[in-house]
Amino acid sequence: MSETATAMSGEKARIGAPSIAGFTEEGENLSPVNETSSPIGGDAAKAHSHGPAASVPQASRGERPTSYDVEDFPALTGREEDWRFTPLKRLGALHKQAPTGAAPAVAADLSGGATVETAGMDDARVRSAGVPEDRVSALAWNAAAEATIVTVPAGAEGAAATLTIKGDSAEAAAQHLVVVAEPNSSAVVVLDHVGSAVLSQNVEIDVQEGARLTVISLQEWEDTAIHASSQQARIAKDAYFRHVTVSFGGDLVRMTPSARFAGPGAEAEMYGLYFADAGQHLEHRLLVDHAQPNCKSDVLYKGALQGENAHTVWVGDVLIRKNAEGTDSYEANRNLVLTDGTRSDSVPNLEIETGQIEGAGHASTTGRFNDEHLFYLMARGIDEKTARRLVVRGFLNEILQKIEDPQLEERLNETVESELAATEV
Amino acid sequence: MTDQISQEAADPGVIAEILEKNPELHGIGNYEYGWSDKNDAGANARRGLSEEVVRDISAKKSEPEWMLDLRLKGLKYFDRKPMPTWGADLTGIDFDNIKYFVRSTEKQATTWDELPEDIKNTYDKLGIPEAEKQRLVSGVAAQYESEVVYHQLREDLERQGVIFLDTDTGLREHPEIFQEYFGSVIPVGDNKFASLNTAVWSGGSFVYVPKGVHVEIPLQAYFRINTENMGQFERTLIIADEDSYVHYIEGCTAPIYQSDSLHSAVVEIIVKKGARVRYTTIQNWSNNVYNLVTKRAVCEEGATMEWVDGNIGSKVTMKYPAVYLVGEHAKGETLSIAFAGEGQHQDTGSKMVHIAPNTSSSIVAKSVARNGGRSAYRGLVQVREGAKGAKNSVVCDALLVDTISRSDTYPYIDVREDDVTMGHEATVSRVSEEQLFYLMSRGLAEDEAMAMIVRGFIEPIARELPMEYALELNRLIELQMEGSVG
Repeated sequence: MSETATAMSGEKARIGAPSIAGFTEEGENLSPVNETSSPIGGDAAKAHSHGPAASVPQASRGERPTSYDVEDFPALTGREEDWRFTPLKRLGALHKQAPTGAAPAVAADLSGGATVETAGMDDARVRSAGVPEDRVSALAWNAAAEATIVTVPAGAEGAAATLTIKGDSAEAAAQHLVVVAEPNSSAVVVLDHVGSAVLSQNVEIDVQEGARLTVISLQEWEDTAIHASSQQARIAKDAYFRHVTVSFGGDLVRMTPSARFAGPGAEAEMYGLYFADAGQHLEHRLLVDHAQPNCKSDVLYKGALQGENAHTVWVGDVLIRKNAEGTDSYEANRNLVLTDGTRSDSVPNLEIETGQIEGAGHASTTGRFNDEHLFYLMARGIDEKTARRLVVRGFLNEILQKIEDPQLEERLNETVESELAATEV
Repeated sequence: MTDQISQEAADPGVIAEILEKNPELHGIGNYEYGWSDKNDAGANARRGLSEEVVRDISAKKSEPEWMLDLRLKGLKYFDRKPMPTWGADLTGIDFDNIKYFVRSTEKQATTWDELPEDIKNTYDKLGIPEAEKQRLVSGVAAQYESEVVYHQLREDLERQGVIFLDTDTGLREHPEIFQEYFGSVIPVGDNKFASLNTAVWSGGSFVYVPKGVHVEIPLQAYFRINTENMGQFERTLIIADEDSYVHYIEGCTAPIYQSDSLHSAVVEIIVKKGARVRYTTIQNWSNNVYNLVTKRAVCEEGATMEWVDGNIGSKVTMKYPAVYLVGEHAKGETLSIAFAGEGQHQDTGSKMVHIAPNTSSSIVAKSVARNGGRSAYRGLVQVREGAKGAKNSVVCDALLVDTISRSDTYPYIDVREDDVTMGHEATVSRVSEEQLFYLMSRGLAEDEAMAMIVRGFIEPIARELPMEYALELNRLIELQMEGSVG
């Protein structure tokens, strides 16, 4: 404690030196995925911070700026709260300039009255349910050549549409999809992403009064794909919307689904499954906006991680606004970490502006295998490897069941199997 | 004349009548610590921040040159760092209007009688000398404006080698300890407000507990701001050597003024192998104080750090006590409670960083928002690569007692290790009609019933406080809840 005899020069350097690993004189780097983004480097250093430039922080998720105009979103630095976990380098051109490549081909399989057409970006159904919330989405919105529109006619029962979106180019592309569920219809729409692409996508989902719509977005990309997808739903009075996202493939996938209530008495369920392998970055950021009274929402995302530098990010924003009395909301995120070397970020945010609610809560867990489950199975003569797979499958199956399509469920279960087989867990 | 008014005002019947006639007076007078002393030193203090101000503070304290260098570096970072882009609205802070250093007495006192009459009366009203007389505390430090005006440590502890000094004296008497630890937990450029504190720090406590010494009765510090537009920047450094134990308690109050004051403290704690430190805060600044504080502890092998953080006052509080678990089997714990009333924004929480294997941490946070107040839990739990067997649980509960208040939860969980158990849970509930009806049908008035429900809600945290603080907290809640119904 009293080693004062060190050489003066050495001592000088030591004074005020941080003692915690990973610290510099400026504390911790809050965005290690974007290395160059020291809070004091770049533009931030130039602005004299406590002058007139000081800004009021967004008091709420509901205040995040939205615009169709790219110019309203400043260039990304990687320090922004909603980008600091995303490796911008790998996102490449998608956040820098308007993507100019050809959008991946869309093949449709329809039944029960659902229709698909392409329309110009000036069609009235474009802008019916979505507005960009970030620069990447705004760039794609303006770059898209046309919109692919799926319509479920009013009153249709049990309609279905599967859009197979097959990428075959490494050129940055934009794509625009619109799903319209007319009043009192019921339908399941599947967006099946395969092949490889560098794709920025906007999906607008208009769930009209009394409609029941399920949208399933499958990311079964090849390993090279880069995919940013903003999927925004507007849910009218007494409608029911279920959104299921399943992300297996791709080098970088960043999904930003949102559910906004536009009338009272509606319900939204948002479910997700992700399975990240070595080097993969799978990010899901969702929003449930309770802006109407007496709506219900339920969110559950489950993820598994394995392999060096597998990185998952899950951010769930639930916003209960002042007039959303009678809201009932719950969200949860569960992560299963299968090997060393992974990183999992989980942020369940909840903002509540009224006390007149039925209930609101959230939960997040991240951890390893439940050894008890494993023991139980092994005690019944199942070898360890099989037992582990069964535990993982059981964990993820809760989400796959929400798809309510046995054929699709089977296919995705097989993918889980092959993921597990790939790295001998 | 003055006496007569105060006697009249003391009669609850009279107060009720006045309030009935003047409903706008509701809520005024709830804050009991809002008096101000006459104030020559504060009135003449200079406003604004510059290199000259920093040099002047350092010169007044006759500091070693390296401390001045560190201060100037802090100023440089403060100028360059952006304001936080998250959390509370801080645009009301006018850095040019703040008084960065106010010296209220020439000499530190060791008996209360040596203090100027005004200051002594203030501490009498706050009950500090009484607690000391009754030996409820082992040592007392009283900071008034920028400096500690009163300091006393029990003789037996002094004999055991316990150091409990104000930080200025600590630096003068133990420069080698400061060279080693000052800024080692919260570096000079950690964040804008830590940089500001490094530049203009003054006062605070310096505590060193030698190996194996258990300080059984708490050390207490009391912070008081008296001057309008005052900036208080105390700096606390606590080192608990191996297998020692200490409990440090701080309380804070300030007068009610029309314009705002700033309190921006830095607290660094080093908990050595097997030691345990508990740090309790009852923050009750008046509603015109911006309270932006950085508190962080480093926990070595088998050590335990406990933050008990109660935030009742202030206009805006942003405070997230942190524990860095750098030694195996180290343990961190935060119990946090926040009340946000009218015009208040309590953005509080905690941060636990697991660096070594088999470390554990828990955060329990409770908040109550009423009358348009806003409370937020903001926390981070991080498990670094190599922290195998780390365990953590976070539980936050929020209670909303009306329809105009607001409660937010922003928990960050960042796991970079497979062998871990992490859990976060939060619930937000409102006081139900049934609960109220049940209590009221048993003869309680509505505001009594409401206060009882709130007390029950925070009981798990209140019971961790020393008794006199638990009683104080309950009393503050009753004050907070007064007139909250209808």
